Amino acid sequence: MTLTEPAVADSEAAPAAAPGSSPVPSATPRILAQPFLTSDAATVGRLFVVVSLLLALGTSVIGVLLSLGRTEAVAPADMFAGLNAYFRMWTLYRVSFMLLVVLPLLLGVAMAVVPSQVGAGNLAFPRAALASFWSWLIGALIIVVSVFAGGGWGAIDGVTGNENDAMALTLLGTGMVIVALLVGAVSVATTVISLRQTGMSLLDVPPFSWSMLVAAAVWLFTLPVAIANIVLIYADLRGRPAIAFGRAESPDIWLQLDWLVEQPAVYIMAVPVLGIAIEAVGAAVGARSSRPEAVTIIVGLFGLLAVGGWSQDYFTAPQDLRDGLVYVAFGLAAVLPLVALAGGAAELVLRGTKTPDRLLDARMVGAGAALKLLGAAALVGALRVIEPLDLLETTATWAVFHGVVVAGLIAGVVALRNWSHELLICPLSQAVGRGAVALLLSGGGLLVLSDLISAFLADDPDLMDLALDGSTALNVVAFVGSVLVAVGVAAAVVGAVSALRTPTAGSEAA
Amino acid sequence: MRTTALPAAEATRPRTGVVGALLATGAVFMAFAALVAVYVQQRQMAQAAGQEWFGEGSVELGPAGMMMMTLLLSMVTVQWAVQAARTEDRPHGFIALGVTLMFGAAVINQFWFVYQDTAFAIDGGRAELLFYAVTGAFIAMLIGGMAMVAVTTIRSLMGPFGRELAHGVQAAAAYWHMCVLCYFLVWYIVFVTK
Repeated sequence: MTLTEPAVADSEAAPAAAPGSSPVPSATPRILAQPFLTSDAATVGRLFVVVSLLLALGTSVIGVLLSLGRTEAVAPADMFAGLNAYFRMWTLYRVSFMLLVVLPLLLGVAMAVVPSQVGAGNLAFPRAALASFWSWLIGALIIVVSVFAGGGWGAIDGVTGNENDAMALTLLGTGMVIVALLVGAVSVATTVISLRQTGMSLLDVPPFSWSMLVAAAVWLFTLPVAIANIVLIYADLRGRPAIAFGRAESPDIWLQLDWLVEQPAVYIMAVPVLGIAIEAVGAAVGARSSRPEAVTIIVGLFGLLAVGGWSQDYFTAPQDLRDGLVYVAFGLAAVLPLVALAGGAAELVLRGTKTPDRLLDARMVGAGAALKLLGAAALVGALRVIEPLDLLETTATWAVFHGVVVAGLIAGVVALRNWSHELLICPLSQAVGRGAVALLLSGGGLLVLSDLISAFLADDPDLMDLALDGSTALNVVAFVGSVLVAVGVAAAVVGAVSALRTPTAGSEAA
Repeated sequence: MRTTALPAAEATRPRTGVVGALLATGAVFMAFAALVAVYVQQRQMAQAAGQEWFGEGSVELGPAGMMMMTLLLSMVTVQWAVQAARTEDRPHGFIALGVTLMFGAAVINQFWFVYQDTAFAIDGGRAELLFYAVTGAFIAMLIGGMAMVAVTTIRSLMGPFGRELAHGVQAAAAYWHMCVLCYFLVWYIVFVTK
C-alpha cells in the first residue's frame, strides 16, 4: 500500500458474522475513532470547518471585548488585567482570525470539495491532510493556552510581565499552525495538479478549485517567510535574555510578524473567496460564465498581488519599503481584479434565471456581500498606500484586515450552503444562511467604516488605536460592528452544527 | 468502412509524490531564503553603520569550501540514485543512496568543526545569532533530506525498484538539490563575502 492510498477500512465493510459465532469487530472506524483514523477528504474538511467556526466564535468574542475597550465604557487596562494583557489579546485576535479561523475554514472547504470538483477519488496524501488537521488543532491550543499564560507576541514598549517560556510556546504554536496549514495546502494543490480527471486541463478546472490552487501556491510562497521570522525570534528568545529579535519587553516580536495581517499578505485569505463567490452566483442563478478563462486570469492576478513575504519593514532602514513604488502599485492594483470579478458575477446574473427566490438565495446574497466587503477592503487598501493621505500606520490597516476577514467568514457560510452535500449532512437552512450573511455584512461594514474614518481623524499613529481623539462615537460604532459579527458567527455555528445532525424520520417527514 | 475501436491508452499513474515533494521543497526554500535575506539586510545595516560583522579571521573559508565540494559531489550521487531507480538497477541504487547519506553526514561533521573553530557565543551579538540561525536552519534541512534518502533506501531494501519507488527517489533528489542550492547561498553569503 502506498502512502497516498486511502485506508481500506473506510470503504470495506466487515464480513457478516456466521450464525452462532461471536460478532466480528468492524474494520470501519467507530464514530469516536473516526476523526483520528479517517482518510476521507470530506471528513477531514468537515473537521477543519467545524473547529474553525468554533474558534471564530471565540475570536469574535475577544473582538467584542477589545472594541469595548476602545469605547469609554471600560478602560483597556481594566479589561484584561493590565495593558500588556490587552496587547496580548489584541495580537491574538489578529493572528487567530487569520491562522485559526479564515485560512483553515477555507482549507477545510477545499479538502471536502476540490476532489469531487476535479474528479479525484480522494485528496492526494489523505493521511497528511488528517495529520495537518490534528497538528493545526494542537498548535492552536498551544497558542491560546500560552497567550493566556502570559506569552504572546511581545509586549507594549517597556512593560514587563511577559513570561519568556510562555512566549516561546506561543511561537512554537504559531509555527506548528503554519506548517500544518502548509501541509494541507500541499495536499489540495497536489490533488488539482496530479489527480484531476484525464483530459481536464488546468484552464478547465472549476473556479473554486482553481482559486484554491492559486491560494495554495500563494500560501506556500508567503507563510514560510513567517516561519523564518519565528525561527529567528525563537533562536534569540529561548533560554536567555534576548539580544535583538526576541525582546520580551518590547513590541519587536509583533512588529516582525505584523506584515502577515497587513497588505498585501492579508489578501492571501481572500483568494479562495473569489472562487467561492463566482461559483455560488453561477449555481444560484443557474448560469455558467461565457469567459471562464477570464475568471482564471483574474483569480491568478489577484493571487499574484497577495504574495506578501517581501513587504515586512521591520528589518529595513527607516526610509522603509512602504513608500516604495512596488508597495504602492500592489496596493492600488489589488482593486482591479476585484472589479473585474464583480463584472463577471454581474454577467452571470444577467445570463441566468432572475426569479426573486434565486436572487434572494443565501448563496447569491452571500457572494454579493463577500465581494462587496472585499472590494471595500481593497479600496481602503488603495487609499492607505497613497502617501499624501498618511494612512499607513493608522486604523486603515485594520479596516483592510476586517474587510478581508469578514468576507472570508461570509464565503465560509456561502460554501456551507452551496456544498452542503460535501460539508454537512443536511442543507444549511436558507434563513440561517441569509441571517448570518446579513449580520456579518452589516458588522463587517461597520468595522471597515469606523476604522477608515478613525484613520482620517487620528492625529498620531497608535499601535493599538487606544487614543483616538474625537472618535468616541466611531468607537461605539466599531463595538456595534463587533457585536454583529459575533452574532453572525454564532448564527453560522448554530446552523452548521444543526445541519450536521442526521435527520430523524420525524424531521424528514416535516 | 469498418472501424476498429482502439484500446484505451494505459492510464499513467499521476506522480503525486513528486508533485507534493516539489511544492513542499518550494515552501522550505522560501523559509530559508527569507532567513538569508534577513542576514544580508542586517549585515548591510551593520556595515553601513561602520560596525564590524565578524572579527578578522574568525570565519575560515577552507572548511566551508570543503562542504561545498562535498555537497556538489552528493548532487551527482543522488542523481545517480535517480537514474538507478529509473533503470531498476538495485546495486547501483543502494551504493548511490548510501554514498549520498555518507556525504550528508560528512557535511554535518564539518559544520561541527566550524562551530568549534569559530567558537561564537550565540548571545555574542546580531552577527553570531544570525550565523547560528542560518547555519542551524540549514543543518535541520539537511537532516530532513537525509531522512528522506534513508527512508527511500530502507523501502528499496524491502522489494524491487518500481515506478513508485523511483518517484520516491526523485522526490528525495529534488529536495536534496534544493538543500545544496541553499548551502550555496550560505557558502557565498556567510563564508565568502562575510
